[in-house]
Amino acid sequence: MVDGACLELVGKTEISRQGEAEAERGLIRRAQRGDRAAFDALVRRYDQEVLRMTLRMVRSEVEAQDLYQEVFLKVYRSLGQFRLEARFSTWLYRVVTNVCFDHLRQQKTRSEVPARETAEGELDYAGTLADDRPGLNPERALQAREISRRLEAALGRLSPRERVVFELKHCQGMRLRAIGEFCGTSEEAAKNSLFRAVQKLREELGDLV
Amino acid sequence: MNCDDLEKAISLYLYDELTAEERGALEGHVAGCEGCRAKLEESRRLHRVLSECPQPEPTPELLVRSRQALDDALDREQLGWRGLLRGWMWNFGAAPAPRLAAVLTLVLLGFGLGWTLRPRAKSLEPVAPRQTAASFFGTDPGDLRIRHISEVAPDPQSGGVRITLDAERRVTLEGSLDDPRIRQVLVDTMRGYDNPGIRRDTLEALRTHRDNPVVRAALLFAIRHDPNAGMRLEALGTVRGMEPGRDMQEALLGALEHDTNPGVRVAAVNALLQHAAEEGQDETVMPVLVKLAASDQNAYVRFQCQAAVRKMEGNE
Repeated sequence: MVDGACLELVGKTEISRQGEAEAERGLIRRAQRGDRAAFDALVRRYDQEVLRMTLRMVRSEVEAQDLYQEVFLKVYRSLGQFRLEARFSTWLYRVVTNVCFDHLRQQKTRSEVPARETAEGELDYAGTLADDRPGLNPERALQAREISRRLEAALGRLSPRERVVFELKHCQGMRLRAIGEFCGTSEEAAKNSLFRAVQKLREELGDLV
Repeated sequence: MNCDDLEKAISLYLYDELTAEERGALEGHVAGCEGCRAKLEESRRLHRVLSECPQPEPTPELLVRSRQALDDALDREQLGWRGLLRGWMWNFGAAPAPRLAAVLTLVLLGFGLGWTLRPRAKSLEPVAPRQTAASFFGTDPGDLRIRHISEVAPDPQSGGVRITLDAERRVTLEGSLDDPRIRQVLVDTMRGYDNPGIRRDTLEALRTHRDNPVVRAALLFAIRHDPNAGMRLEALGTVRGMEPGRDMQEALLGALEHDTNPGVRVAAVNALLQHAAEEGQDETVMPVLVKLAASDQNAYVRFQCQAAVRKMEGNE
């Protein structure tokens, strides 16, 4: 009886998921025909996650906002080439990864110091963190800020590829197989990048453990 | 699995990326190898430190700003040469010959039909009800900024046309700052509008009502979060002389500890001193001043913090 109920529930969930996917395909078709409202609706489905990803990759609100815009403009420009049999989310996250990767690579080439220390009008992202994480204990909050600062400096030492793989794995919790797909590389290469990233972080933050 | 293999496998183990077989092999090896057990423990501690490190979350304000900026960029994209080109490319770019021929035929038919119906255009005005047009446009349709057209439906019988669109119209609001609706528009502008000049004018307008709780919250928000350093300084100047309170002290401390601009940090020190003079000293302020007196990256900020510490100690 219970099994039957469970099966029914799983079936309903599957149906609603299929309905959701079909609704999304409908939006994509309309957006491909130039329907701006459909494109806006598509953006709203994913934009919070995209903004979170870009913010965590670059750790600067100003840059995250620019990257968010670049991602969706790219999607808008190339949506006509998207094939409906593929998963839109996979395609979108590949665009996000490429945009962040290019940005980090350019930043590395220009040998910029972290934007947070130089850019005028930069927001302090630490101020946007949820209050409940370090708790209200000032000592822990101070310690968390110090670790954040050290981590940020350590992340600056990673290559753009290592940085992207680490952020997607550690912060977004994605599987390495998917990360390899987003980065246009193999799962094995993503594993190597993660390994190198963790090695470098250990060298930088070893005294904290 | 040997010790060399384990080095690489540990990260994958901690991120749950090993197969059950690989996990078993790793755990089996670690159980019998003291060196690798120590490595695993060290990696586990590093993993814990990294996981406990808070990750930045986009604020609602950032989301709103990003959406507005994207919306504007998409408007420009749609109306610019790129949008027109894409429209044409979409229709013709990869079209096979029959499709291209069909499209050209439709275009020619369209021209022919337009030419045939041309004299009927005169009947548009009497047939289309004036009242409807007036109720739709209100004033001059030139005021409208068209964002999106979802339907253009010509009626060959009447010669009229129905256009369904989303549009914005320029509106001028006038009223007293005592009117909460006016105040809310200004507060929203200060919190989220992307033009710093307009935000500055808004702050100026709100200055007289800075003790209103909603205005006060917006000013304190600007101290911490306005992206423009000049605006943050203006906001700091505006809150000086306001009723002191815990919320103000938190905003000032936040600016002192986190603002990237040394000028803002110095202004925050001065505002904190004044706040302490009016409200009395709070145990959370002194440790921050002492810390920054020794560690702020800017020499003048350090100097100001040292002076503030001396002054506050003298007052005790």
